[in-house]
Amino acid sequence: MKVFYKLISKVLPTYIAYAHCDIPCGIYDPHNAQMAAHTVLRMTSMLNELKPSKEEPDFDERKRIISQISRLTRVKEKHAELVEEELGTLENDYFKEEHFKKFPNLKSLIEEAVKFSIKARQNIDIDAAKKLLDTTMQVAEIFYKTKNLEPVRVASGYPTESEIVSHK
Amino acid sequence: MLLVKRIASLFPFLKFRIEETSMSPYLKPGDIVIILKSKNIENNNVVVFDRSGDYFVKRVKKVKDNKVFLEGDNKKESIDSRKFGWLDKKDIIGKIVYKF
Repeated sequence: MKVFYKLISKVLPTYIAYAHCDIPCGIYDPHNAQMAAHTVLRMTSMLNELKPSKEEPDFDERKRIISQISRLTRVKEKHAELVEEELGTLENDYFKEEHFKKFPNLKSLIEEAVKFSIKARQNIDIDAAKKLLDTTMQVAEIFYKTKNLEPVRVASGYPTESEIVSHK
Repeated sequence: MLLVKRIASLFPFLKFRIEETSMSPYLKPGDIVIILKSKNIENNNVVVFDRSGDYFVKRVKKVKDNKVFLEGDNKKESIDSRKFGWLDKKDIIGKIVYKF
């Protein structure tokens, strides 16, 4: 039998079989990345809106503001990381070589999103947070196109008053 | 090459190269295996199945009606039926009949 299998192996093409299969259910969705990017934008806005009631606030008010800054920053940090993680999953597990060939800007969009995420985490930077959301939405649009679904930007209904990408 | 692939598709066998380690020690990355295209699956068969256009390899632990429960030999690294549940038999491409 060994000779037989050796012989047929010479004519058979080789396919790849993965042993690992991270997400064999094949369920991928750019929604979580977009929600996380909205959260980063919202947290950045809320940080910008924080103001003391007077020039020299009393100790209790200082404590309250510091606590609020700490909480908002923690959520901003966590969700910016989540955007990177979700986009990383799409990049590594969902998008295939043919997708990157068909959409030549896909790779750079993901890289830009990661850069904006880092910037949004390091600073209270509303511009970086908006760009993070926009690049994430552009990746979402490509995602739906790879599934032959027509992407559409709709009102998110979130306090960010920005849109979210879904499909028809 | 296309003609070769078309002719090869008529064979009841397929050849696969294994990637990743969740079937080790039985299968290691780079191993070449021959599978027999078959839905006649029994416990302990090592099978290749199709999910979303990618092929995966796992060991059959249980067979029940038209479903199979799959596990990787390297349980620490394997994500398998313990996580994604029973798999339809129709998704099985075949079972390993020879390992080089």
